[in-house]
Amino acid sequence: MELLWVLSRRRKIVLAMAGFLLLAFLLGAPLQSAGADIFPYGIHKDVLENGLTVIIVPYDSPGVVAYYTVVRTGSRNEVEPGHSGFAHFFEHMMFRGTEKYSEQKYNDMLKSIGADTNASTSDDVTTYYINASSSALETIMDLESDRFQNLKYTEAAFRTEAGSIMGEYNKNYSVPFQSIFEKLRDTAFAEHTYKHTTMGFLADIKDMPNKYEYSLKFFDRWYRPENCGLIIVGDVKPEATLAMVKKYYSPWRRGSYKWEASHEPEQTAPRSAHIDWKNRTLPYVVLAYHVPAFSDKGLDGPALDMLSQLMFSETSALYQKLVIEKQEVDQLGGGWAKRRDPYLFTISTRVKNPENVANVRKEIESALDAAQHQPFNEEQLARVRSFLKYSYVMGLNTPSRIASQLAMYVQLAGDPQAVNRYYTLYDQVTPEKLEEVAKKYFRPENQTVVTLSYGGVK
Amino acid sequence: MKHQKLPCVVLFFLSLAACTSLRAQSPATEKASHPPSAAVAAPLMVELHSTNSPLISFRILLHAGSINDPKGKEGLNALTALMIGQGGTKDMTYKQIVDALYPWAASISPQSDKEVTVFIANIHKDNLQKFYRIFANLLLQPRFDESDFKRNKDELLNYLQNTLRFNDDEDLGKQSLEAMLYANHPYGHTPEGTVDGLKSITLDDVKAYYKKVYTRDNITLGIAGGYTPEFVRGMKADFAKLPPGKVAAVTLPKPAPIMDLQIDVVKKENRATALSFGCPVDVTRADKDFYALMVASSYLGEHRTQNGVLFNYIRGLRGLNYGDYAYIENFIQDGGSTFPVPNIPRRHQFFSVWIRPVEPQNAHFALRAALFQVQQLVAKGLTKEQFEQQRRFLLNYSKLWNQTLSRRLGTLLDSKFYGIDYFPDRVDRELKALKVEDVNAAIKKHLQDKNFDVTIITRDAEPLKTALAENTPSPIQYAGPVSDEVLRDDKVLVGLKLNVNPDKLRVVPASELFEK
Repeated sequence: MELLWVLSRRRKIVLAMAGFLLLAFLLGAPLQSAGADIFPYGIHKDVLENGLTVIIVPYDSPGVVAYYTVVRTGSRNEVEPGHSGFAHFFEHMMFRGTEKYSEQKYNDMLKSIGADTNASTSDDVTTYYINASSSALETIMDLESDRFQNLKYTEAAFRTEAGSIMGEYNKNYSVPFQSIFEKLRDTAFAEHTYKHTTMGFLADIKDMPNKYEYSLKFFDRWYRPENCGLIIVGDVKPEATLAMVKKYYSPWRRGSYKWEASHEPEQTAPRSAHIDWKNRTLPYVVLAYHVPAFSDKGLDGPALDMLSQLMFSETSALYQKLVIEKQEVDQLGGGWAKRRDPYLFTISTRVKNPENVANVRKEIESALDAAQHQPFNEEQLARVRSFLKYSYVMGLNTPSRIASQLAMYVQLAGDPQAVNRYYTLYDQVTPEKLEEVAKKYFRPENQTVVTLSYGGVK
Repeated sequence: MKHQKLPCVVLFFLSLAACTSLRAQSPATEKASHPPSAAVAAPLMVELHSTNSPLISFRILLHAGSINDPKGKEGLNALTALMIGQGGTKDMTYKQIVDALYPWAASISPQSDKEVTVFIANIHKDNLQKFYRIFANLLLQPRFDESDFKRNKDELLNYLQNTLRFNDDEDLGKQSLEAMLYANHPYGHTPEGTVDGLKSITLDDVKAYYKKVYTRDNITLGIAGGYTPEFVRGMKADFAKLPPGKVAAVTLPKPAPIMDLQIDVVKKENRATALSFGCPVDVTRADKDFYALMVASSYLGEHRTQNGVLFNYIRGLRGLNYGDYAYIENFIQDGGSTFPVPNIPRRHQFFSVWIRPVEPQNAHFALRAALFQVQQLVAKGLTKEQFEQQRRFLLNYSKLWNQTLSRRLGTLLDSKFYGIDYFPDRVDRELKALKVEDVNAAIKKHLQDKNFDVTIITRDAEPLKTALAENTPSPIQYAGPVSDEVLRDDKVLVGLKLNVNPDKLRVVPASELFEK
């Protein structure tokens, strides 16, 4: 899913990231002190001989376990023309059974344990999860290890599943942001696979039923232990759990596929695109700037996180001006989605009066310009650090949320400890660094703008 | 009602499981208390204490919802809630409040439904006192600033006129269905109101509504976490300052029975056609039969799971869409989870089926397929094996519903609304006592097999209307080969006669929905 900043009308979350407090607080640990880890629980990490990364985090959730399998393959890996959307399609196929456990048997077994289970695909990763009773851990492991090693489906099942992909695309399509982000990526990227959304180009989705043979190749390439991570959080014992993992996953054989991610040439001139929406809507304006890939070492990423808060959170001057005082827009947000390759810093807004579209864009660009010349002060930075750190840890209140957070850093860096390294970087960001980063990325020639409106408004 | 008490902390989670069964997760140290003496009149308080938890969750429940909107002022309840949750206090502007809450990553969220409105908040206990003062003042001394009024009113109007009507077909289908089910009923308009109603509301209306409805006898204070007794005493004393009074309960007429298939074809531009259908049911969580129907509904398809009959029949075997599910009560998904949001309790409930968007040419077929499965259920009931499998699933799955303290508090408040013990405990007890005969009897008694209200969101409104009116066959083509079983059923489905009432089959432009 794309990272959006659309505020729901009824469950608008004041100051984003609602949530609760972490068990670290329960145990009396302070919020990350200087140099301390932000992630408050013990991480047991192992790498099996076949390359499978195993992360086990015991957590005080009696009777409950979250079981995540991360495949470090997403739509980023779809470098072959005509195959966009395939990582996501393949995620669907993973529920179609094996010789040992047919699709029906797989569903029946998960049903019998009352599992909450699903999967998702994004640019860089495909994630499968099961939340269930920890006493069912071995059943889960048996099922999951089997399908990741022995998936088997017919061409008929493959063609049928392609229909559900079209259905997913169609259900998303009524929401304007689906089209906006399709257009934004297609415009902002020339070469890199981030040019298409995870759903894929529509033409490729329509052709999916004809790609059965390719799907077998896809499984063979990417669903290999060295490309995957297993994250188990909850009421588990690390040693016994690891022994179980070795029992079920050791037969999994490494793959040999080599590939190179596509490279995006530097953007040298502003780009723009417009969508005429067929239904009535308030106009949307989205601005995007190319920014670097995730790193747990450099300061540019953390600086961009902080700039997004300083410039576009509800406490920012721009938000106050456009949403609260002048009330020219009813939605405004901005930020950087962490990716393995250079991606985009995106600002999106919905304008109440079509006549104000140009002015709103100008206001946003003025704020981006101001960040390059009028430094934020230390007090502002301290408030942002507090917010970012509280927001992070407040979300760690169920096994599933903890596993999900770790999954993000496992897929980005191959190492869950990356989260601890990353959060310490916020303390090193200075007002001068923010100014430098703003100058580096918020340049006109690095900009892509997409607008969407109804009735010919531009 | 007394609940099992757990020692402390880890109350967020579930008790240790036996075999693959989870044991019910009871609230921590839960109690409901009236003021200690008649001298201190305070609202009812529901506590969920967790000694060592540094997190404090609040849910302040107002016993009023959109059913309390005055005629012609539909949306007044929701707008008043926004003016509190997204407004200022006597001492602080909205901007000042946003600034104050920011470094704590605190949240305050108003949520309005038909019968209740809730203000949800979460905070770390280190910041509790400072946060609570703001939170309490929002409810006790709202600012009702003219500028906030304009912003919040715009938000609701834009939601109805743009987002709901034109930018989210799936929500549109669900809200349209409720409008059909509850025409001429206090549930008839959305919790956000109507366009005309909202336009007619003035700031004085909001002030008057607040004065009338936000009274100490009309509010239940919910708190969970590691608070102190002193804190609770202070909170009670604060809210005791609200004026006394209780809003008279709104009488709810029994929804008119549905005697045929009544269809609103909502016309708008889109790629695919979303469908929802349903019928009122005369049961809620307070009724024994609710739990029997919960099994039946779950058999058809639990929300966002892949093991339901509808999902397998329409998506799994035929690939017609993204998913298909059934519900035995009003259901709104909670954030990114698959579980229901708490604090939308209702005295009247409805059974519904949600068919996610299908290709327009397959809409008639998909409706037939879903109705066929409901008809099969009503005609044949569940086998003992199906019943046992579904009950086992629900017994375990329901233990995952309330993994956070805030959700447990919300569920506890809902349980009070229905006059039952803690809902997950009730689910556990009722399901264990059920027999397949109970489920099948409840299906026969409460579920329709061919008469429903239906909403269909499509660009091809007129042709579909004609096809529905004439019961035209709906042949289907697949992208690849399908099983003989599918082909055999399809022969029945393509011509399945639906009980369509042509006089209650209409095309409605989306632009006209939710207007009055």
